[in-house]
Amino acid sequence: MWAGLALLWSCSPETPREPGVVVVVQEQQPAWVRNFNPLNPTGGARWPTRSGIYEPMAIYNSATGKWVSWLASSFEYADDVTVRAQLRQDVKWSDGTPFTAADVAFTFELVLRRAELDLGGMGRFVEGVEALGTHEVVVHLDHPYSPGLADIMHQPIVPAHVWKDIDDPLKFANEDPVGTGPFTEVRVFRPQLFELGRNPHYWQDVAIEAMRFPAVGSNDQVTLSLLEGEVDWAGAFVPAIDRIYADRDPEHNRYWFPLVGEMIFLYANTTRPPFDDVRVRKAISSAIDRSLVVKIAMYDYTQPANAVGMSDVYSDWIDLQVAGDSDWITFDTARAAALLDEAGLKMGPNGLRQTPDGEPLQIELSAITGWSDWVRASQVIARNLGEVGLDVRMRSYDFGAWFDALGRGDFQLTLGWSASGPTPFPLYQGLMSQRAVRPMGEPATSNWHRYGSAEMEALLVQFEATTDRTTQGLLASEMQRLFVAEAPAIPLFPSPSWGEFRTEFIEGFPSAADPYARLSPNHFPDPLLVMTRLRPAQ
Amino acid sequence: MSGAVPMLLRRLGFYFLAGWVALTLNFLIPRMMPGDPAAVMLARFEGDLSPEALQALRETFGISDGPMWQQYLDYLSHVLRGDLGISIAYFPAPVTQVLGTGLLWTVFLAGGAVLIAFALGTTLGALAAWWRGGWLDAIAPPTLAFLGAFPYFWLAMVAAWLFGFQLGLFPLRHAYGLDIEPALSLAFVSSVAYHAFLPALTMVIASTGGWMLGMRNVMIGVLGDDFITYAMARGLPRRRVLFHYAARNALLPNVTGFGMALGFVLSGALLTEIVFSYPGQGYLLIQSVRAQDFPLMQGIFLTITAAVLGANWLVDIVTVLLDPRTR
Repeated sequence: MWAGLALLWSCSPETPREPGVVVVVQEQQPAWVRNFNPLNPTGGARWPTRSGIYEPMAIYNSATGKWVSWLASSFEYADDVTVRAQLRQDVKWSDGTPFTAADVAFTFELVLRRAELDLGGMGRFVEGVEALGTHEVVVHLDHPYSPGLADIMHQPIVPAHVWKDIDDPLKFANEDPVGTGPFTEVRVFRPQLFELGRNPHYWQDVAIEAMRFPAVGSNDQVTLSLLEGEVDWAGAFVPAIDRIYADRDPEHNRYWFPLVGEMIFLYANTTRPPFDDVRVRKAISSAIDRSLVVKIAMYDYTQPANAVGMSDVYSDWIDLQVAGDSDWITFDTARAAALLDEAGLKMGPNGLRQTPDGEPLQIELSAITGWSDWVRASQVIARNLGEVGLDVRMRSYDFGAWFDALGRGDFQLTLGWSASGPTPFPLYQGLMSQRAVRPMGEPATSNWHRYGSAEMEALLVQFEATTDRTTQGLLASEMQRLFVAEAPAIPLFPSPSWGEFRTEFIEGFPSAADPYARLSPNHFPDPLLVMTRLRPAQ
Repeated sequence: MSGAVPMLLRRLGFYFLAGWVALTLNFLIPRMMPGDPAAVMLARFEGDLSPEALQALRETFGISDGPMWQQYLDYLSHVLRGDLGISIAYFPAPVTQVLGTGLLWTVFLAGGAVLIAFALGTTLGALAAWWRGGWLDAIAPPTLAFLGAFPYFWLAMVAAWLFGFQLGLFPLRHAYGLDIEPALSLAFVSSVAYHAFLPALTMVIASTGGWMLGMRNVMIGVLGDDFITYAMARGLPRRRVLFHYAARNALLPNVTGFGMALGFVLSGALLTEIVFSYPGQGYLLIQSVRAQDFPLMQGIFLTITAAVLGANWLVDIVTVLLDPRTR
């Protein structure tokens, strides 16, 4: 038997790495299914179809807070309801056909006609897109809506000459993509591996030959393949990353987890007593020891939230006065107890708080089976709330069941994510917009806790109608003040943006020292900024 | 052999009935799960689709709001035509295509491991009973029973860490080397064997003990029977007595157990596959449950059911061949 094993071993030599090929693990899949449709709304298309094979007109760089012109060389608001974009003259599709304004107009027409392909929900505010000549497009809005700029500019553009003949773009697998992006040529496609080679007609200089994607099915396996030096770029959660990964080869094994992900909130169903009382929500917030939550649930990868519920991605927008002034997120059990007493939730004889009618108060904190970080956070929170006399029990649900109940408003307390974008508009819209509130029992896509504020709605309407950054900044300050006063949801901690890289074979990744873009490949469309800057290591 | 064919046909009829019950459960159970696959999919993608778009997507996925009996009849007729629908998690790939990426690897890995474990376990069991009280009998059963008490995936993690990561003797993931084109070549076949070694080994280690104990215990009983004493007294070669007389009779309970074990091994193999990133059905199953991908879930359960029923029918045939009394 040993002879046989030795034979097997000798027959499986390690092939040396091809220079200039970046090995990336972004999706965790056991085997690849061939799909490069950038308009696929299900997530069934392989990474980096939407930002790598195809490209948008411009990219909002969430690391620097600046817009980077991409397929458009420039764009501006002509007036409140018109966006004009000049397209680059030198762009060609990967089959050699020139890229023109007709492609952009075609893409928008397709997306607006088929609502299923409209991931940005542009149908709500875009009236139509018109091609002016060969390299200029005009986007007509049906009402002033400044937050929609990101959705418009980030729409991946598809070639009209290929897609006009597709019967059903929803079901189109697009196995041999024709795109404008840096990596368009499918060199290999097998269940365990695929490779994308460089676009022969790409409009920028790219130093990388190809991107290679081994199928890796779990977080542990991503960690191991990083350790073995098989992967150059990944976006996985790795526990205790300094000890497990970075310290093993400090020269090459690098990571960067900036706190620019979405804010994680504790949502209380504000249609149900006692959570309809702002004092109760603030008491819950004061009872939570966020530094313990962050330590136990998140390995200290993140920090306790600020008072306005914004992650570092909004550092230009945070009103330091509001954020610094407010103490509603500081851990203070005495204050929590006082607020609960004030709200009428008096301590009963059994050491547990009761409703104002003297009934026992039992609270369920829903968690998602298998989301171990959130489960740990929920456990800490349940214990914290127990210390101020609230009878909180955590119960885990399967993701589908949890999400269904969340959407219908059938929960009491739960952890949840929040919306994010270039401005704080989507965040506060999701947290407090009156228009987003659905009746109980009817599925909601945001504002699950069902908190509507007329004042916030007025601010949101003013915000969406203006394109002036200073005015928007003032409105954002008002929103923060309102959020702190009404406490519609309880901010816990910002999510880190997971990103690991190795510099043994490839250089040029963004890092804390060179934060030119977001490192994590998980956020669309930022990876384009990274893949066009990578180069083989010297 | 005259009674054998009707008997096997009768059994076949029974399996069709069992298959139909499994199909029906397969249809009902996913539909009893709370949640909406279209909404879950959007949560995963954090998209901003309108309610009308969601409805259009549901229709494309084939999630109909029609009456249950109508859905059930559609489902049965589609399955009979070999149409398992469109996967939601891997939209718009048909379920058959998604299953195609993993099914053969699972059959190869789990089937191979269960056959090796069965052959090894029964042989060891027979030998241990033959020389009962000897060194093999003293060491092997407790050791294997001890190892068998560990869950498959735990052994797999230990093996992956020790032999794959620390010692670097075996690959940690995949079914064959990434740069090898799948073909009937020495390089490919040896790469497949090399990659299958650790995952198969952990499954064999975890399941051999049961076979060995079962075989040993029955074998000891059989060895005490008169016909063995008679065979020995007649002076037949010991090897012949061991394998043709004693082992053949002692094998029956193990053969019956084989069909049942296949289901357990398949479920254990799913976890082992996840540990080794083996491109089988294990991860697909988890993925389909997470995404509420009913069609894919049904497809996976259907193949597992078919495999278990098929194996049991084969076991029936083998039992008939081994034991004339069952004809």
